[in-house]
Amino acid sequence: MAFTGNYMCTSFKKELMYGAHDFDASSGDTFKIALYTSSATMTAATTAYATTNEVSGTGYTSGGEALTPVDPTSSGTTALTDFADETWGSSTITARGALIYNSTPNTTSISLTNPAILVLDFGADKAVSSGNFTVVFPTADASTAIIRIA
Amino acid sequence: MSNTALQMNTNSVEVHTTSGRGFTPEEIAERCANKIIAISDDANPAIRAQAHAFREQMLKTLEFYMHEAIKSDRTTVHNALTEAGHPELANYIRRL
Repeated sequence: MAFTGNYMCTSFKKELMYGAHDFDASSGDTFKIALYTSSATMTAATTAYATTNEVSGTGYTSGGEALTPVDPTSSGTTALTDFADETWGSSTITARGALIYNSTPNTTSISLTNPAILVLDFGADKAVSSGNFTVVFPTADASTAIIRIA
Repeated sequence: MSNTALQMNTNSVEVHTTSGRGFTPEEIAERCANKIIAISDDANPAIRAQAHAFREQMLKTLEFYMHEAIKSDRTTVHNALTEAGHPELANYIRRL
């Protein structure tokens, strides 16, 4: 089984209503991106980060990398947030997809460990050899931002 | 009545890779320009043409200053290596 598309995790939607995720760029939670091989099975039903089928190789550390969030904003009647592109430098790895998760959620009202946010399907294996591997996020506007409430 | 939806962009996450090298300033400038400005195919043709012209000018500026940043950083690295007693390595970095 492989990746079958991009998903906003259903559990994330519920957790938003518990106030579990803070996207503030300076004082918010720590969001991470972990890379996975084509053997990983991830869908909207994915609830948390796991090491099973996570990428391994030069330049990659288990758990992935912390993302740099961009303060939530609004455009017209749409609220949106974004992340800066993430690069693994001097790496030799192959990944088919990624999981964005929150490593420091607010657990005041709900018990959580590394809850999943988004499943990203790269569409095919992406390989890098002694080079840079960069996940490029879309332009942060009302119609293309990675996470939006419209 | 309005409908509110929590959405993600399911089409636009891209992966860029290199092999045996890093990204060039031109490649990074292209990515940077895409972050700053998105031009809709549905925009008014006159406005779209203006936007593309602006993007091209911005791209050239970004490329220029990225080259400047690299030169400046190499000067810093060159001086650090020289002060650390590695003049040959420092000169190698300067000639890159």
